[in-house]
Amino acid sequence: MIPLLRYHSVLLLRSHRWLPPVLLYAAFLAVGVQSGGPVLDSYGLAAFALLPLAAWLCRICVTGEPPAARACAAAATGPGRTHLARVATGALSAAVLALAGSAYVALVADPHASDHRTAVPEVPAFCAGLLAALVCVLLGTAVGALCNWPVLRSTGWSVLSALMAAVLLLVGGASPANAAVSGLITGSTHGTVTLPWLPLISTAVIAAAATAVACRLSSRRG
Amino acid sequence: MRLDGVGRRYGVRGPWVLRDIDLDLPRRSLVRVEGHNGSGKSTLLRVLAGIDAPSTGRITGRPRTAYVPERFPAALPFTAVGYLTHLGRVHGLRGRTAARRATDWLDRFGAGGHARTPLAELSKGTSQKVAVTQALLAEPELLVLDEAWTGLDPAARETLDRAVAERVAAGGTVVFVDHDPRRLEGAADARYRVTGNRLARLPDGAEPDSAERAGPPGPRVTVEAAAPAGTDALADITAGHGAAGLPGRPSVAPGPDGTTVRLTVAAAHSDALLRALLAARPPWHIRTVTPAPDENR
Repeated sequence: MIPLLRYHSVLLLRSHRWLPPVLLYAAFLAVGVQSGGPVLDSYGLAAFALLPLAAWLCRICVTGEPPAARACAAAATGPGRTHLARVATGALSAAVLALAGSAYVALVADPHASDHRTAVPEVPAFCAGLLAALVCVLLGTAVGALCNWPVLRSTGWSVLSALMAAVLLLVGGASPANAAVSGLITGSTHGTVTLPWLPLISTAVIAAAATAVACRLSSRRG
Repeated sequence: MRLDGVGRRYGVRGPWVLRDIDLDLPRRSLVRVEGHNGSGKSTLLRVLAGIDAPSTGRITGRPRTAYVPERFPAALPFTAVGYLTHLGRVHGLRGRTAARRATDWLDRFGAGGHARTPLAELSKGTSQKVAVTQALLAEPELLVLDEAWTGLDPAARETLDRAVAERVAAGGTVVFVDHDPRRLEGAADARYRVTGNRLARLPDGAEPDSAERAGPPGPRVTVEAAAPAGTDALADITAGHGAAGLPGRPSVAPGPDGTTVRLTVAAAHSDALLRALLAARPPWHIRTVTPAPDENR
């Protein structure tokens, strides 16, 4: 698995296709997270944007190889494993973004609640922000795995369905990403930090299931 | 590796591309697959290589596998050696070993000068050499070649012929499809034909288009060799290892003066046969290597 992850990471880095999502995230953070803003709100915002970006990065990794190269690697270790490596590379790159975004928020945001008077403990807030970001990364990865090859093979349907799924998961009441982000924002009004363990566990299960479906189909769709 | 009742179709309601395929791929064998365009040859090869899973039936005993596609337009942001090193690692090699083998194989194919060229800038033929190298450097137990010779220059085609013979001599299984009916002529141990989603074994030695032609066709080479001192050449080779154990399963005849034997194999296997004889302990002595007279043409 390590050689496959290494191969796909270098492929992602050298392809420069990571630039648009990373620049977009940087611009979003620069505009959305003002210095001196309430820290938990800022973590919520930073996590929120990662869901569509993780789906985008997953798409970049899944579609980065021409079919001939994909076949050569699949023969060497099995198509399921190579696809798992592609999805995992997308998730890891989005996790790097999550870490960078959370670190940026920790540096610039004001460690107080929305009223700017109640102090918010910095380390638990950072942990809650990072976990919420990881919830969004995992859910975005699940969207990316299910909305691209081998599940959906046309570019149009892939992009359209991923966009719709991302929007629904961001605003939908039952979505774990929404639960994690609104947990931060309601916490910000009272100055309380709650770690989003339940959303994290449920998205981990969802992401694992979505990836398993995609990996299983990778040897069946040709 | 064995295939039992393997079928393959694309989609849940798609037509069957392959159906009820029973196939045994023993070690140390060279297998040719024939069929018209669109007959399902490539699908069969993808199933054999493990890229596609069978829709029904099962495959047992899969060995370490490598695959070469017909075209390799790999627009990947790597140099040739960079890509091959990554693939070598994926095949389970150490990075340094993979890079060394990649350079060696590219040199053998006459593409050593392109080792540091980005893949996107390679010509079609050189890209195909990279695709072939990717599979050969892993020394796979099962090598699947889907018209791998297409796009290679004549010298590289011959190199690939010999590399295939080496793989078989080393105990591997090679399955290939090629549009040239004379590709590795006479060297294949078994030939199969895909017709109407079924697989049929062709009788040994028969050409696809002229079933009446008898005898193993294709260019053959006779190696006249003397056994190590103190051994009876003919008895040793037929009883000891057995001619079947030698690369290319040579036909054996006594030499003209009684001290040597004449081993005749398909030309593609001649290098592998010579290597086996010279590397034997104690080694054989090679007297002559000559093209065998062709009785069939």
